[in-house]
Amino acid sequence: MSAFLRLLSRNRLALGGLIVLVIVVILALLTPVLPLKPPNVTDTPNRFLPPFSEGAILGTDHLGRDLLSRLMWGTRLSLAVGFAAAVIAATIGAAIGIIAGYYGGRTDNVIMRGVDMLMAFPYILLALAIVAALGPGLMNALIAVAAVNIPFFARNIRGVTVGIANKEFVDAAKLAGMSDAKIIVTEVLPNVIPVIVIAMSTTVGWMILETAGLSFLGLGSQPPRADLGSMLGEARSALITNPHTSIVPGLMILVIVMAINLLGDGVRDALDPRLKSGALSRPMPATMVSRTGPIPQPEGCDLLAVRDLKTQFHVKDRVYKAVGGVDLSLKPGECVGLIGESGSGKSVTALSIMGLVASPPGVITGGAVHYRGEDLVGASYEVLRSLRGRHVAYIFQDPQATLHPLYTVGDQLIEAVSSHRRIGRDEGRAHAIDLLKQVRIPNAESRIDSYPHELSGGMRQRVGIAMALANDPEIIIADEPTTALDVTVQAQILTLLDDLRRDRGLAILFITHDFGVVAQLCDRVAVMYAGRIVEKGPTDAILNAPAHPYTSKLMACVPELGEGRRRLEAIPGLPPGVDQLPQGCAFADRCHRVTEACRERAIPLEPHGAERSVRCIHPVEAPRTEAAQ
Amino acid sequence: MAGYILKRLLSAVPVLIGISVIVFLIMAMIPGDPATAILGSFATPENVAALNEDLGLDKPLVQRYFIWLGNMLQGDFGRSFALNRPVLDEVTERFNATLVLAGSAFVLCTVFGIAAGVISAANQYGLADKAITFFVLLGISIPSFFLGMMMILVFAVNLRWFPVSGMWPIFGDRTIWVLLDHLAMPATALAVVATGVVARLSRSAMLEVLRQDFIRTARAKGVHERRVIWGHALRAAMVAIIPVLGLQAGFVLSGAVYIEMVFQWPGVGRMLVDAILRRDLLLVQGGVVFVAACYVMFNIMVDVAQSLLDPRIKT
Amino acid sequence: MTEALKLTGLSKAFPVGKRLFGPPRALVRAVQPVDLVVQKGETLGIVGESGCGKSTLARMLVGLLEPSSGRIEIEGEPLDNADPAVFGKKIQYVFQDPISSLNPRKTIRQIMEAPLKHLHRMGPAARADRIAEIFAAVNLREEFLDRYPHEFSGGQAQRIGIARALAADARILILDEPVSALDVSVQAQVLNLLADLKAQFGLTYLFISHDLAVVEAVSDRIAVLYFGAVVEVGPAVEIFANPRHPYTKLLADSAPVVGRALKAPEGRETELPDPENPPEGCAFRARCPRATALCAAEVPPLTGEGGRHPAACHHPLEA
Repeated sequence: MSAFLRLLSRNRLALGGLIVLVIVVILALLTPVLPLKPPNVTDTPNRFLPPFSEGAILGTDHLGRDLLSRLMWGTRLSLAVGFAAAVIAATIGAAIGIIAGYYGGRTDNVIMRGVDMLMAFPYILLALAIVAALGPGLMNALIAVAAVNIPFFARNIRGVTVGIANKEFVDAAKLAGMSDAKIIVTEVLPNVIPVIVIAMSTTVGWMILETAGLSFLGLGSQPPRADLGSMLGEARSALITNPHTSIVPGLMILVIVMAINLLGDGVRDALDPRLKSGALSRPMPATMVSRTGPIPQPEGCDLLAVRDLKTQFHVKDRVYKAVGGVDLSLKPGECVGLIGESGSGKSVTALSIMGLVASPPGVITGGAVHYRGEDLVGASYEVLRSLRGRHVAYIFQDPQATLHPLYTVGDQLIEAVSSHRRIGRDEGRAHAIDLLKQVRIPNAESRIDSYPHELSGGMRQRVGIAMALANDPEIIIADEPTTALDVTVQAQILTLLDDLRRDRGLAILFITHDFGVVAQLCDRVAVMYAGRIVEKGPTDAILNAPAHPYTSKLMACVPELGEGRRRLEAIPGLPPGVDQLPQGCAFADRCHRVTEACRERAIPLEPHGAERSVRCIHPVEAPRTEAAQ
Repeated sequence: MAGYILKRLLSAVPVLIGISVIVFLIMAMIPGDPATAILGSFATPENVAALNEDLGLDKPLVQRYFIWLGNMLQGDFGRSFALNRPVLDEVTERFNATLVLAGSAFVLCTVFGIAAGVISAANQYGLADKAITFFVLLGISIPSFFLGMMMILVFAVNLRWFPVSGMWPIFGDRTIWVLLDHLAMPATALAVVATGVVARLSRSAMLEVLRQDFIRTARAKGVHERRVIWGHALRAAMVAIIPVLGLQAGFVLSGAVYIEMVFQWPGVGRMLVDAILRRDLLLVQGGVVFVAACYVMFNIMVDVAQSLLDPRIKT
Repeated sequence: MTEALKLTGLSKAFPVGKRLFGPPRALVRAVQPVDLVVQKGETLGIVGESGCGKSTLARMLVGLLEPSSGRIEIEGEPLDNADPAVFGKKIQYVFQDPISSLNPRKTIRQIMEAPLKHLHRMGPAARADRIAEIFAAVNLREEFLDRYPHEFSGGQAQRIGIARALAADARILILDEPVSALDVSVQAQVLNLLADLKAQFGLTYLFISHDLAVVEAVSDRIAVLYFGAVVEVGPAVEIFANPRHPYTKLLADSAPVVGRALKAPEGRETELPDPENPPEGCAFRARCPRATALCAAEVPPLTGEGGRHPAACHHPLEA
């Protein structure tokens, strides 16, 4: 609650809305005791006095009634009716929605069909029909507005409730012996209330407008009593001659509704957890770059060279050092594995290469990525774009989410080509079919017109691979391409990738968490932990004789098939958060070889035999050059 | 596709029946003797007798409903006693005028709302985003009838750019240009609120879509950013936007009631309000059922558009 | 040994294309009739790929899904979840996603107290003692009790989920992919904890996973599921080393293993059958190198021959 208020107060617009609203509400509450003229006493000799007249600061209306007094009383009435309608609609609508959403099945079906019927009316028709039946009057207008809005709440809350009722914690509550009524009250309701509050805060303004509207039409409050809407309605006939009688109540409605909407948006933002984490930010076309310190210059003849790359996430006032200085190189035709657990920074490293880290919050804060000697980190968006997919292509993890659901497979493949060179319709189609054949999709000629949802996971990933191959790139960056797939499909995909790379001389940077995959596919491997490479070298050498304690422990954790039932090795503790990395070795707290020296200063990545290097001052085994070769 | 349209049309039948039941029940809530209540101030003994016979008002509720429904299906919506003409004639004539007003407002709000939403999302937290957000907030906070009145004051009375009210001049030719001249202000006033709502929704739908993995895939392929936004992202966002457009059409129709009052537009909304105030209940009943039925048909068109866009909807 | 769990002809079919009235358009059989027995004190592993029906099976066992046919016996009595307060004491469930199985708006203490309050009607003092006892068993610090779920890592949250299941004091735990959301280093911690708890409290586990190596490491016996049916069931030490069903062999050969050369175990590019149009005969025959006309004609029964464990195959592999 206090966190909510703090967030709300940080939003200046919402705070402004709140202040205005509080003032209006206080004035409305105080209206009966304020020294105002009676609102309904006519004084025709003094009709249409302009504003700032003596005794009538806002002037008078067509019957000579004091506009200020009528405005205050009208505001009081409009606010009361609007809030009452919102509360009634929200309460009844939420109750209906929760019941329909929680129980589901036939209950849900019957209730929601009824709601759909009500929503099949343009809302005012229903309101007009209700008022027509009950007769004009403020109370009837309130009933009409509330009734008309119930279906909106019911549908909204039902959707949220269905989501919550399918959550595993509701199942857990059932197994903990709780009854349905108890689950609704203690498990579902607390999670729905924020949504109800958001829906209410964003619709109160709307309700005030609607009741004012009915009064404006002469169907709401009846003379002599007036709310803001009927004041406007009465003033309409004198709009051209005495506009002030219209402007005064009209502006008041605008001010109230605007204040409520500002506050409502603030409430929504404060209650929506996605906004807190900045998850609703739009990622820019290329990752932001703000490099401090010297920029490494290209050296050697590597196809791709990552030099001291640093990528951070800036969320609120916290800095997450996802990648803390990574060096990596890729030669033509080579497959390099980058292995690590979740949060180790392996994917961020891969995405940083072509500036695909979501930004905000991602920022590349240092280092360079050299592609054939050209620095990609400092490159302009247009340079980066022309290289993406053309020379460096990506394959991503979840083929379900990475293909556009509304374009056919063929269109997506052709687009990969047409983004870089002009291609005719027929040529494009022929090329796309050829690509599908290369990734061994059966019936390529007919599959080209399929949409992604019509394909199985394995086939979708083949399409993802075909798309990466479309422009014959030199480098493919594969970010956990088989993690979302079943083992039998994974075996097919890995074989395909291996064949393709040998046939075409592709260089592959392969991101994974699976040692088995690395062992089968990669020439060299780099192990990441807490944003840094802790060990790298030829795959065989590292897997046979890991030098870093983390590598060796991690490999021991992984159960391997064929060893039967046993107790597994475990690494105690958790990896440190990348927003609070220790000064020394990040693995120190979990390491069995740790000494004082490990914690004193940052440990450099030092050569360990001819082709290997390790970031450890107490490596597991002494360097054996023979083994490495 | 034809099968899907047919299916949707068939599914509209229960909805239309539901609508007629709801309207009928609401009208049945009227206290007292139904014929006298329906006729209100026109209740001469002859009228009461005629109506009683017409609607079978002395019969039980369920039977009355079926008589009423049967009459409607034959195109007999009853007679407006105030206007002394068949309800259906009056409603269709008035509805044409509403269609011109609401239709043009709907087109305006769709085009400008989506464009504003996309630009806003593409420049999140930028100057364009802030400006659009401000105007959207203003738009959804201002009562459309007040906005209409202020527009009359400024553009018709002071600047004399547009006529004050009405759909056609009392004298003179009825050309398209004259119509547009009369239409400009009411259509704009009506579109403002809806534009705000559509822009808001489009913005959040776009932001939601822009975070998706397939956008990153498009960028990784080297697709131009312009096409990423207006092609990949907008297309996916439309899946969320289109259903709201259907809902928004209802709001535009609703708002038309106020705008028709302010601009003296001879539409069905004004007819309904006048009819309620005169307690011409058969006209209200017929008008509500007719407009609601048209709205149901419009929503079927929206569903069909959605199924054309989204192959995941089974046709 | 006595039977902790006994499934007889258990199946589940989901309706597709529901209508308000009348029967649905089609039925998808998520679980074909399954017979299985879990002995008291045993860990039965269930392994299979996505869509094989393993989670559906698990949810039926704890009464979260109504079976379409067949019966479930828990410790000799038919499953009866009419009174949730009695049922929850017999069998408990550990969920795959540790975070979403904890209500984000409740403290860990409130979450832990629910089963104690509703299943065992314990007073506040007794509850506090019991929670302390359980937390000690799963190596969680008591200071965690007043925090909210989002403050925990996946591994910690899964420990809390296990602690909650233990609080019900049930003898049987259904573990539905309990470690698949966790990193390997944490996965090992949780697996070892589960083994310790089993020994300490004499529990019976039904352990569901897609990871062959994990299942093999924790199970006494393993059942392999394909397309909703058990195709092979046998001792953990034997089933992957000496598979009888060609699908089991395919699974074992597909798992990436350090030191084994990369070679697709299947020559063809194959896919799972369409659940809405299931094939006649053996569901695996389209992918099977040993398939014959017999496989298309008859569904193979789950039988053991020559003293070997049961497999549902007309042409089982030799030892």
